[in-house]
Amino acid sequence: MKISRKLYSYYLVWPALLIYCVFFVVPAIAGLYYSFTDWRLDRIGIKFIGWDNFERIFTDKTLLLAIKNTLIFAVATVIGKNLLGLALAVGLNMKLKTRNLLRAIFYSPSILSILVISIVFTPMLRSEGTINRIFESVGLGFLSQNWLTDPQIVIWTVAAVSIWQHAGFQMAIYLAGLQSIPKDYYEAATIDGAGAWRSFRSITLPLLLPALNINLMLTLIGGLKVFSEVFVLTGGGPGNASQVVGTIILRSFGEGSWGLGTAVNTLLFAAVTIIAIPLLIFMRRKEVSE
Amino acid sequence: MNRKTKKIAAGLLGGLMAMSLAACGGNASPGGSTAAGGSGSSGSGGGSTIELAISKSSQDSIFVQQDLLDSFEKETGIKVNLQLLPAEQTSTVLQTKLAVDETPDIIQYNLASATTDLNLERNFEILDNEPWVSRLENKEVLSAYGHVYSFHLSQDTGMQGVVYNKDMFKELGLTVPTNFEEFLAVCEKIKAAGITPVFMPFKDNWAANVWPAAAFADYAEKNDPTLFEDINANKKKWSDVPAFADILQQQYEVYEKGYTNGDILSDSYDMAVGKFLNKEVAMMFMGDWLIQNVNDNDPNMNLGVFPIPYAPDAKLGASPLGGQLFIPKKAKNMQGAKKFFEYAARKDVAQKIIDEQKFVSNFSDVTTPELPEYKQEIVDNYITPKKTVLTVDAHMLVDRSELYRLLQDEFAGGIDAQGVLSGWDEKFAQLMKDKEVEGF
Repeated sequence: MKISRKLYSYYLVWPALLIYCVFFVVPAIAGLYYSFTDWRLDRIGIKFIGWDNFERIFTDKTLLLAIKNTLIFAVATVIGKNLLGLALAVGLNMKLKTRNLLRAIFYSPSILSILVISIVFTPMLRSEGTINRIFESVGLGFLSQNWLTDPQIVIWTVAAVSIWQHAGFQMAIYLAGLQSIPKDYYEAATIDGAGAWRSFRSITLPLLLPALNINLMLTLIGGLKVFSEVFVLTGGGPGNASQVVGTIILRSFGEGSWGLGTAVNTLLFAAVTIIAIPLLIFMRRKEVSE
Repeated sequence: MNRKTKKIAAGLLGGLMAMSLAACGGNASPGGSTAAGGSGSSGSGGGSTIELAISKSSQDSIFVQQDLLDSFEKETGIKVNLQLLPAEQTSTVLQTKLAVDETPDIIQYNLASATTDLNLERNFEILDNEPWVSRLENKEVLSAYGHVYSFHLSQDTGMQGVVYNKDMFKELGLTVPTNFEEFLAVCEKIKAAGITPVFMPFKDNWAANVWPAAAFADYAEKNDPTLFEDINANKKKWSDVPAFADILQQQYEVYEKGYTNGDILSDSYDMAVGKFLNKEVAMMFMGDWLIQNVNDNDPNMNLGVFPIPYAPDAKLGASPLGGQLFIPKKAKNMQGAKKFFEYAARKDVAQKIIDEQKFVSNFSDVTTPELPEYKQEIVDNYITPKKTVLTVDAHMLVDRSELYRLLQDEFAGGIDAQGVLSGWDEKFAQLMKDKEVEGF
């Protein structure tokens, strides 16, 4: 009996390809086109206006502030989620009696809805809320802040809440990476006289690079696309102090400036691609095999 | 993939893209055909349905009360289907429905906002020739651009000023302040009695607009009657008027002097009723609808409203009437929708609703019932002697959300009063330009 070389025909990819094209490729291309138009709610017809929308993005103070806030949020959360996630993973990879319980506790915020988190955190972050009260009760009253209403720190507060929520998820990925490293390496290193730090630097980190890559990508892309955290915690306020690109897109569509909204979206798509892909290639090259 | 498969795949992809682009383009440019008259399929008859879209936050509207809908159906055979829209997305959803021609037959919205958000002239039916129009006492509250575009039974526009606890004023021996200095003195005395003088729920940024919306309008009426026309024609800018900055600064001063709740940017409007009921606060810059809300919870609360005391003898702000019904030009069952208006406007039906709601009737043959005490005071002290002024909202041709954000930013310490006005100038010019208003 002749066995076919190919198990499945390529035709089987068509349904998925069709869905992908209809719901992603076509809207993406259409979006690119509309970002060069004056498509508006109250206009009859659409006019091609060249780079006008993009010019407006880079001259409008609020839009520039939103881009700055998005970058701050992305950098802060990439660093925060990965450092905290890695520290938790290393700590909870040790032989502790409560290890599984602690892993579950630290992972649990990431399965909560951001709305629930907002309801919990908003009162805590008020000027007379729990966090400031704790500071005051331990004599650190000078650290009290208007966490969600001070324009200077509000975006950092939102980033901190996001780190709190997602570090456990990053921890899970790092834990999977750590558990795939054979114990023999550490035993050999100990015999050779390596300390804990040296073992971490020379064995753990290089072999953890695939997990680090995934985490960096996920946190970076998630950080640049931030929307829900800002929307539910501050709505972009006070004033426009915590606007990010995602909330600006919503606002532009709400105002009926569909062309402008699409342009901001296109810009976000381009920025994510330009930053994420080279980083991915760079990190892949650094990966080592066991 | 062999060549044949590649060709088919490429062809299919190309076809799909072309189809989708064409479809999007078609939706975006409805081509100006008005489809007026809507010679709809279901026409005028029994057994049909009409779709009524309304924000979830307006669920208590008189027009969607079940007994009204039931009696309308019983009489005409037309069933009313409600489409409840999420409150924070009402305008976006309606804008989208109108743009893609999936229009409900009736929409409830505020007339002033409909002109700025929903392109009234392009999207909605003119109702000048409807039978109930001749019975209207005050056409203005339902009209824009010289035509009746909307329907309501009431002509009672909300009044905006300083809502205050009259009993508290009496206990502390205070009188209603008539200028800003007197207002600050009143605040000082209330504060000394251990009560928060003014509740500012500026987490909801629109609440920061009540003080300037009434004060700007009063200033313009007395000092520069064509000011808003000039601003809307780009002959003047908001930041050109020094008094506007002073008015904004006054509101900030009330906060700066410690006469408000501590965390104004974290407190929201929905806390206001509780604050008054618990007697934690004495005053708030708000509309008289708040008094009704407080009295619904405790009829013994004795609240009143006085004009924003930015200058001597200021008038009480009158906000444009809200909650009107509109019929989109592309309504599928326009006859059914018009019948619904006719039914609600019928003398016996209208009288029943107006009696229940204690509305100020807008129909000449429907009588206004006895008003609640606070409302009667407004009528006697302000409406009858013509001491009211339409707030700035009535003159604004564009969406005001950015102005609200700028006002909030003033209280967050991001900008000063002048910064609010120059920031709004910039956004206002952009919005007017987008709207293709002459002069911008």
